[in-house]
Amino acid sequence: MECRELTPRAIDELAGEADEPSRRELARHLENCATCRAERARLEAVWASLAEDSEAAVTPEFRRRSLELIEDEMIRRRVEAFRPRPRWLPALAYAAGLALAALAGVWAARHAGTRPAPAGGAALAKTAAPPIEAGARLANVSYTPPDAEGRIGVSFDLESRRTVVARPDDPEMARLLAFLVSRSAQTSGEKSQAIEQVSSHYASRSVPASPEIVRALTATLKRDPNPGVRKKAADALAAFPITPEIRVAFLEALGGDRNPAVRLVAVEALAASAKQSPDERTIESLREKAFDPAENGFVRARAASALKAMEF
Amino acid sequence: MNSAGVGEPTDRALLERIRRGDTSGAGELFERYAAALLRFADRLLSDRSTAEEVTQEVFVKVISRAHQYDGRAEVSSWLFAIAANACRDRRRRDRRATIVPLEAVSEPAQKGEGIESVLGERERRAAVRRALSALSEEQREALVLARYHGLPYAEIAEVLGISVGAVKTRIFRAVEALKSRFSEGEASWNAAN
Repeated sequence: MECRELTPRAIDELAGEADEPSRRELARHLENCATCRAERARLEAVWASLAEDSEAAVTPEFRRRSLELIEDEMIRRRVEAFRPRPRWLPALAYAAGLALAALAGVWAARHAGTRPAPAGGAALAKTAAPPIEAGARLANVSYTPPDAEGRIGVSFDLESRRTVVARPDDPEMARLLAFLVSRSAQTSGEKSQAIEQVSSHYASRSVPASPEIVRALTATLKRDPNPGVRKKAADALAAFPITPEIRVAFLEALGGDRNPAVRLVAVEALAASAKQSPDERTIESLREKAFDPAENGFVRARAASALKAMEF
Repeated sequence: MNSAGVGEPTDRALLERIRRGDTSGAGELFERYAAALLRFADRLLSDRSTAEEVTQEVFVKVISRAHQYDGRAEVSSWLFAIAANACRDRRRRDRRATIVPLEAVSEPAQKGEGIESVLGERERRAAVRRALSALSEEQREALVLARYHGLPYAEIAEVLGISVGAVKTRIFRAVEALKSRFSEGEASWNAAN
C-alpha cells in the first residue's frame, strides 16, 4: 500500500466497507508511517465529530398527523377505483352494428353482381384519439416531439359531463358518493351536497350504509377543516345504525372537535346509542362533558339530560 | 436493510398489504421508517418542518406508487430514494423562493480556540450542521446515508441512482471538505476527541 491510498482506504474502513485483507494492509502501513498515522487520526476525528449532530425525533404530534394523513390517503386510494360506465360504449355498440350492416350490404351487392362504390380517403384515416364528446374540455395539454415515423403525441385530461343514475344504496352509486365526500368534491358546498344525498336517503331507513360511505364520512368528521361540513357528516352518521367505527368517530368528535354544534350532534348520537346498548366509554365521555365547566352550556345540558334519561 | 424484527412482517409484506389497501400496513411501515427518513430529510434540508413535510410526502407517495415497486432494490432503498428526490425537489423550489444560502447565516469561525472551552454541546451541533450544509448536495446525500444510516456503498448507489465508484468519490470529497473546514477552525474537532 502507498501513502496516496491512505484517505480512500481509511474512509472505507470508517464506513465499514473495508474487507479484512484491506484492513490488515492498512494497519501494517500505519505501523511504519507516522505521516499516515496522523492523517488517519484526523479523518477519524472528522468521522467521529459528525456524531455531534442532533438527531431529529418523531414527536407524538408529528406521528399523529402523519398517521391521519396516511389513513386519509389509504381511504382515497380505496374509493379512487370508481369508474363510471363510459357513455361512449352504447354509441360504440351502435357504430359496430352499423358497420356490420354495411359489410352485409357489400357482401350482398357483390353476390348480386354489382361492385360497391370505392370508399373515400377518410376511410383510410387512422386515429388513436378517444371519442371526444361535443363540448368536452381538454385540460393540461402537452405535446411530444415527432418520433422516427413523424408521429407526434398529444396528451390531455378529458373533462366531460356525465350523469350516473342509481339509488344511493346501489354499490356503484355508493362508491361515487364516497368518492365525492372523501376526495373529488372541489368545494365544501359540493361535498355538503354529496353528504346530504347520503343523509336524506338513509335517514328514513334503518339499513347500514356501505362501508366506503361510513369511512368517508368518519374521515370527514375527523378532519374536514370546514365545521359546517363536519356537522353535516355528523348528522349523516347519526342517521345510520351505530357501529363501533361510528361510535369511535363520535367519541373523538365529542372530545376534540372545536365546534360546539358538532359536539352537540355527537352527544345526541352517543346518547341515543348508549340508551340502546350502554357502553362504558360512551357513558364516561358523556359524564365528563356534563361536568366540564369549560364546555359549551348546550353541550353540557344535553349530556346531563342524556345521562339522566339513562338513569346514570 | 430491512428493519423487521423476528416474527414481524418483512418490509415487502407490508408493501403488499399497502397494495391491497390495508391501512395498518402503511402505519407499520411508517413506524418502521419514519424516524430514519425524518433524520435523513432533516440533514439534507436543515429545516425541521420541511423535513416533516417531506417525510409525510414519502409515505403518501409509497401508498400511491406501491404497485410500481419492482422488488429489485430493498424497500428501504426505495424509501430513501423517494426521500432523496423529494428533498431535491424541495431545494429546487426553495432556491426559487429564496436566495439566502445557508452559509450566509452561519456563525463566524472560532479560530484557534478549543471547542470545549468555547462551544457548548448545542454550538457543536450547530457547527456540524453548518459543515454538512456547506457540502454540495450530492456529497451530503452520500455522506449522510453512509455515516448516519450505515448504508453500504452498494445500497447508497441504488438510492441515488449512481455507481458504487461515484458513491466512493462523493464520500471521499465530502470527508476531505469537512477535514479542510474543520482544520481551518470552524471548530476545533480534535479538542472534542
